Amino acid sequence: MEIVIEGITKKFKEQSVLEQISFVMEEGSIHCLLGASGAGKTTLLRIITGALKADSGSVRIDNIPMPNRPILNKIGFMPQQDGLYNELSVYDNLRFFAGIQNLHGKEFDKKALELLEIVDLLKDKNKRVSHCSGGMKKRISLAAALIHSPQLLILDEPTVGIDPVLRRQIWNYLKDLKKQGKTLVVTTHVMDEVQNCDYAALLQNGHILVKDSVENLVQMANGGNIEELFFTNNSEEGKN
Amino acid sequence: MTAIIVRILRQIRNDFRSLALLIIAPIFILTLLYFLLGDSGYIPKIDAYGLPDAYVNTLSESLTVTSIDQLPAEPYTYITEHKIDGVITADTSGITLYLIENNSKTALVQKALSQMVKGGVESNIMYQYETSSDNQLDSLAYVFLGVLAFFFVFIFSGVSFVGERSQQTLDRMLLSPLSKTSIILGYLIGYGILSGVQSTIMILFAKYVLHLSFSGSVLTCILIMVLLSFCAVACGTLLSIFAQNQFQMIQFIPIIIVPQIFFSGLIPIDTIPYGIGRLCYIFPVYYGCHALKDVMVYGYSIMDISFYIIGLVIFTTVLFAANIVALKQEGAS
Repeated sequence: MEIVIEGITKKFKEQSVLEQISFVMEEGSIHCLLGASGAGKTTLLRIITGALKADSGSVRIDNIPMPNRPILNKIGFMPQQDGLYNELSVYDNLRFFAGIQNLHGKEFDKKALELLEIVDLLKDKNKRVSHCSGGMKKRISLAAALIHSPQLLILDEPTVGIDPVLRRQIWNYLKDLKKQGKTLVVTTHVMDEVQNCDYAALLQNGHILVKDSVENLVQMANGGNIEELFFTNNSEEGKN
Repeated sequence: MTAIIVRILRQIRNDFRSLALLIIAPIFILTLLYFLLGDSGYIPKIDAYGLPDAYVNTLSESLTVTSIDQLPAEPYTYITEHKIDGVITADTSGITLYLIENNSKTALVQKALSQMVKGGVESNIMYQYETSSDNQLDSLAYVFLGVLAFFFVFIFSGVSFVGERSQQTLDRMLLSPLSKTSIILGYLIGYGILSGVQSTIMILFAKYVLHLSFSGSVLTCILIMVLLSFCAVACGTLLSIFAQNQFQMIQFIPIIIVPQIFFSGLIPIDTIPYGIGRLCYIFPVYYGCHALKDVMVYGYSIMDISFYIIGLVIFTTVLFAANIVALKQEGAS
C-alpha cells in the first residue's frame, strides 16, 4: 500500500507539533520516522491511520483519502504503550484483536499459533499478560498488530525494551514482511535501526530535516553513520 | 461488539480484585449498614399507666414495661429524667404512646404497640420532636442500594475506560473496522451484564439474607438497579475522557457521586430550601432511588414508577450518545 502525505499541519493548543509535512511512502518498503521524543513521530502516525485529525493537509492510502473505515482492516497498528489487556492471557489478547478484525475460529487459531512461533511465545500462550516481561509484551503487541495479515503495518517504537538478539529476530521478520509486498512504517529514536529500513525521515520539532533512502543518507554522511548526519542537520537547523 | 463483551467478561473473570470491588464490596457495605442501623438486640424500656394487664403482658414480650401508679404531668420530661424510651397510657379515649423522637429505638416500641393493638383499639403516638426519618436500614435501604450500585459501577467502568486510553487498547479498537457506536455499545452491554449480576446479588442478599422489607416486586427492583447501573457505565465512560489517569477518575467522586447521595432520598427533596431540591431531576440516582423506594416501601408496580424508569432510560440514552460524540472527537475516522 502506498501512502501519500501532503502538507500535514497539526497544533495542540497553540503549540505546533507538525508543520507542512509532505512525502510519499512507497509500497513494499520499510519507512522509518526518526526523531527524539516529542519530535512529532507518534502524532504523524496517528494522523496517517486516521486516529487523529490534522489541522490541514491530507493523507491518502492507495489513493483513498483518510480517514476511511473500510481500509482499516488492511492496516496493522502497534502502539507505543503495548496496547494489551493485562488481565487476559497472551492467547485471549490475540483472540480479542482478531475478533474485532472479524477473524475467528480455526482461521484465527492457525494465524495465532504461526505468529506466536515467530515471536517466540508459543510456550507462553496461556500466560497472563500481567505476568509477562516488557520484551514479551512488545512481542505480543507485534503479534496483535499482525493477527489479521494487514497490508500496511504501522509500528510505533516496536523494539523499545527488547534485547538485541530478539530485536534482530523482529527486524528479520519485518524484512520478510516487506518481501511479501507489505508496507511498513516504523518510528524509532534509535539510529542503528535506520539501517534496517529502506527510507528514513528525520523529524525534529514538527519539521522534516532530511528524508531520503537510507542508502543515500549513508552516502550523505560520507560513509559515517546516520547519527552524524542527524547531528549535522540538527546544528544547521539551529543556525538557521 | 460481541468481541468486546466477551473480552470484558473474560477480563473480569481473571481480575479478582475488580470482581470483589463490583460484587463483594457493595454486599460488605450493605451488611455493615445492616449491623449499624439494623436490629441491635436493644430492649426499650417504657413505663405504663392505666394499661390493662393483658396489654402489659403483650408489650413485655418485646419491651421492658414498668407499671406506674400516677400519670406523669410532663411525659417528655419524665422520659428524659427516668432514662426510659417512652410512656404509654390508657383511658376511655384509647391508648397514647409518648416518645421523644422517631428513631431506631422508638421504632421498636411502635412495633410492639402495633402488635398489641391488633384488636382495633384506638392508639395515638405523640412525639416531643417530630421527624420524618425512621432511621432504620429498612426505611433507607433504597438509598443505599441505589447509591452503592451506581457508585461501584461508575468507578469501575470509568477506571477501565481510562485504562483503554492510557494503554492505547482504545487506539487499536479505533483502528479496526469496529464503529464507534459498536465500541460504546459493547462496553455498555459488557459492563451492563456485570452490573446486572451485581444488582441481582445485592437485591437478593438484601431480601433473603438481611431480610429487608420489600413490599413490591423483587424483579422490578432488579430491573431498576440494572437500569441505574447502565446509566452509571455510560456516565463513567463519558467522564473518563476528562481523566488523564485512573487516580483522576477517583477525583470525580466528590463532584459526581456525593451530590447524588443528597438527592437520593436521604434528605426529603421537598424540605431542601431555596428550590435547590429541583436539581434532583439532573441526577440519575434520584430516579433510581425513588423508583426503588416506591417499589420497596409502597409496593408500587412497574407502571406506577414509569416516570422514574423513563427518566433513567433517557439519561442512559443521552449519555450513550454523548459517549459516541466524544469518541468521534478523539478519532478522525
